[in-house]
Amino acid sequence: MFARRDALRLAAGALVGPLLVGPGYADALKAGGPTRIASLDYGLASTLLSLGLTPVAIAARDDWDKWVVEPPLPAGIADLGASWEINFEVLTSLKPDLILTTPYNAALTPRLEAVAPTLSLGVYTADGGDVLPKAVAATRGLAEGVGRVAEGEALIARTEAFFDACRARLARVAPPPLALINFLDARHARIYTAPGLYHNVLERLGLTNAWAKPGNFWGFETIGIERLAEIGDERARLIAFEPVPADVLPKLALSPLWQALPLARPGHFSVLPGSLMFGMLNDAVRFARILTDHLEQTA
Amino acid sequence: MTKRPGTSQAISPAPGGIGAAGPRATAVGDAAAGEVSLSGAAERPAVTGSARAVFPQAIRAHAGPAAVVAALMGLALLLAFRQAAPILAAPQPAPDAASAMAATLFFFSTLPRMATALLAGACLALSGALFQLVLRNPLASPTTLGISAGANLALVAAMLFMPGLLGFGRDLVALTGSLLAAGLVFLMGARHQFSPFSLVMSGLVVSLWCGALAAVLTLLNDRYLESLFIWGAGSLSQQSWTIPLSLLPKLALAGLLVVLLLRPLFLNELGEAGAKALGLRMAELRLAAIVIAVALAAFVTSAVGVIGFIGLVAPTIARLAGTRRPGAQLFWSTLIGAGLLFLTDTALMALAGQVADFLPTGAVTAIFGSPLLLILLPRLKTRHRVMQAPAAGRRVAAVFAGSRGGAALRVILPVAMLVLLLAVFFGRSPDMSFRLMPPALFGDLVALRLPRILAAFAAGMMLAAAGSILQRLTGNEMASPEVLGISAGATLGVAVAVFVIAAPGLFTQLGFSALGALAVLAIIVLTASRSGLQPERVLLAGIALGAMVDAVVGVIGATGDPRAIFLLRWMSGSTYGVTLEGAMLAGLAAALLLSLTALCRRWLDLLPLGASAASAIGVPLRPARLVLMGLAGLLSAAATTSVGPLSFVGLMAPHLARQLGFTRAAPQLLAACLFGGLLMVAADWIGRSAVYPYEIPAGLVSALIGAPFLIVLMRRGR
Repeated sequence: MFARRDALRLAAGALVGPLLVGPGYADALKAGGPTRIASLDYGLASTLLSLGLTPVAIAARDDWDKWVVEPPLPAGIADLGASWEINFEVLTSLKPDLILTTPYNAALTPRLEAVAPTLSLGVYTADGGDVLPKAVAATRGLAEGVGRVAEGEALIARTEAFFDACRARLARVAPPPLALINFLDARHARIYTAPGLYHNVLERLGLTNAWAKPGNFWGFETIGIERLAEIGDERARLIAFEPVPADVLPKLALSPLWQALPLARPGHFSVLPGSLMFGMLNDAVRFARILTDHLEQTA
Repeated sequence: MTKRPGTSQAISPAPGGIGAAGPRATAVGDAAAGEVSLSGAAERPAVTGSARAVFPQAIRAHAGPAAVVAALMGLALLLAFRQAAPILAAPQPAPDAASAMAATLFFFSTLPRMATALLAGACLALSGALFQLVLRNPLASPTTLGISAGANLALVAAMLFMPGLLGFGRDLVALTGSLLAAGLVFLMGARHQFSPFSLVMSGLVVSLWCGALAAVLTLLNDRYLESLFIWGAGSLSQQSWTIPLSLLPKLALAGLLVVLLLRPLFLNELGEAGAKALGLRMAELRLAAIVIAVALAAFVTSAVGVIGFIGLVAPTIARLAGTRRPGAQLFWSTLIGAGLLFLTDTALMALAGQVADFLPTGAVTAIFGSPLLLILLPRLKTRHRVMQAPAAGRRVAAVFAGSRGGAALRVILPVAMLVLLLAVFFGRSPDMSFRLMPPALFGDLVALRLPRILAAFAAGMMLAAAGSILQRLTGNEMASPEVLGISAGATLGVAVAVFVIAAPGLFTQLGFSALGALAVLAIIVLTASRSGLQPERVLLAGIALGAMVDAVVGVIGATGDPRAIFLLRWMSGSTYGVTLEGAMLAGLAAALLLSLTALCRRWLDLLPLGASAASAIGVPLRPARLVLMGLAGLLSAAATTSVGPLSFVGLMAPHLARQLGFTRAAPQLLAACLFGGLLMVAADWIGRSAVYPYEIPAGLVSALIGAPFLIVLMRRGR
């Protein structure tokens, strides 16, 4: 069992950062894999659902429908509280046999390990690099960690196949370059770029990101809306994701600059449902589907 | 500043900031000539009835500020021209789409942004200058009086709960918030006859409180989008002329009203008695001027968010440049403020090409403005307030305080025990009900709750002791660890840890926060030691540093980095991260530092009598102040590491103790410590239970409960 643990640590650790496995984990794996899993991260929880396992608890459960949406969260999952400050009283009383976390919550790791074996998988880590390959690696790490390697490979294959299908559909419509944003208020936006999830999916689908400058390791940059004028390509289109604050569109309608932006012309600007911008494979798939459907309809 | 005006006597120009001014003879001449009639007409008409300043002298008085304005505007225009040149040089009409877009961008984003910078800077500076004149307080400004923070809080609350309000009533919402904040600050200031120092202290407390509340609203609502951050940090980015065009008439109206008020404001300099003799209703005039100043700041906050320190720095520069008379002070401050923000913003825009990060202008002005405040401190006159001797009736009460206090202690101690037991054994359980701890989970839950309760109690005691020390040292009942800047230093330390080390563990965080706190303490003591460690200067230095840290955190937050949430969370002060070792350490620190404090009780009894009285009795002033300040610093640093920088327990607990009749240092300290500990434990319990399984940090709970409670207390104590 030790050999396997070490191999796992090497395999996943090399790609996705620290992998922490506490005592008792070997026993759980021997007994058919962990069944009472708590997740501090939406992406990991969503991936877990796709591996056919339902977590007993996740952090920030009530906001799932606002940010993740799909897959829908099954009933009966406990709420751990805020992800950076999960409620240890809840966690302890649930007696989990595996806790999933990310380097973002590294400060909590020692205390998590005291409760149950803990698996830390990083997709958004400070060492940078493209997010999508890191999400694939984290999916493999998770699948191994919960003893569902086959399901993990199936998920990855499913995802890649979906991307291929989208790519083929899009190849027929000669899609324009896209700028992807979330409005923060009527004057500012967050624009998604390399090396983020949205950006990687664009590349994977054969699309071009109209915003060429790379951002932080989460894959975005905060800009004043006037900087959208830096996008010179006449064909480029602007896609804003929900949620859009209520006063943004009415206010922008009054701005001569906004009206003059090639990106804001009718047919070039649309608002689409959001998907978790800091997620993993399921969120990439949801994003790809929403985008591909939209581009086909508006082609 | 190559030309120092002859009229400037006590104050010399700041070393940085305005040194680069090149005198431009024509600009100086023109501006000064334009201003002479304005101030000449109203020049001291009441003193002698006929005295008019000689013209050359008047021109000299205006040369300094005019040179400053010319330099600021000149530099800003130079930078602005570099951006405008390619647009203006382009042929009209634009030959292609790209240059048409560039022109649109220039005319509907860059130009309105410049106009907004000029107008917002002018509004804030005029507001600051008005405050400073009317209150005769060189430190008054929208930032230091909590006006901007009040407007900000009102807008954040409206944005979250009644977004409909913001459509038509944005200014109204901001104005309401500002007026409420101003009302609170003046209410507290009135207790000290508007002494400059206490007013600013109250303003800062209100400002911190508004900031804390805005932070909690952000935390509970803004998971992935950081719009509130940006907005709080004051970005000038524009996409139309709407904002500058709405600010212009407001500034014009305010300017007109100020000109109408100008003559009476002049008389204001004669002092209350002189003005009364002339039959002026000073109270009404002051109120009107203050309302104008509050409104100006509120309009700017409503339009572009909080722009820190312009309202403080501009009038200060005007004064340093040699403006003496109120009219000139208002006029030049306004222009300097406009130039200052214009220059800052054009410089930022010029830099924006090079640095990828989004920098909100308002946070940048605060980062530059707050150190300037630090530099200016030694030049400002402050007076040590002597704690007023108790009136005859109170003196009798003080004699009996011993026995009353003894009885009170006999009640407090069992209550303390009961609260501590309840905090451990009673609480929300995973099924959401309030209940005693289920026996099955006994071991687990005690292990989780005990360290937090222990740490909360120890931190509460230490904050209470630090507050008692500071209040006795300064004779100011608004003094507390929050305004000492120590907590801000600890926050900065954690910010460094979070951003330099990718994923700092809890111990690293604690270490960095302690380092930050001690570094700030060292800076403050060094800065203030030239003045013999006058407590006022120390606290003002703390305010300046605190504001700077807030600004740095604001900048970090506005770049949208998700780690900012972590930092915000840390700042709001939770016992969440405390381990058993940490709690033991906090307990040990509390025991050690509190016994050291107890050794200093004689000093604490004597220092409130005033510096001269105390040294006459034989208190070695400098060493005593140094030791006590060091103790207060260490106490707050140790407490900050477990409950964060903002709690107001250090403010509340000494008051509670005083209200119960504990007047001598030793019993007051003891009672304050008990109250402090209990308050913190209660706040921690509420924070853990109120929105279970989510948490509200204990520091925020106590701040939210504490501030209104304190205001009620102060009203009653009148």
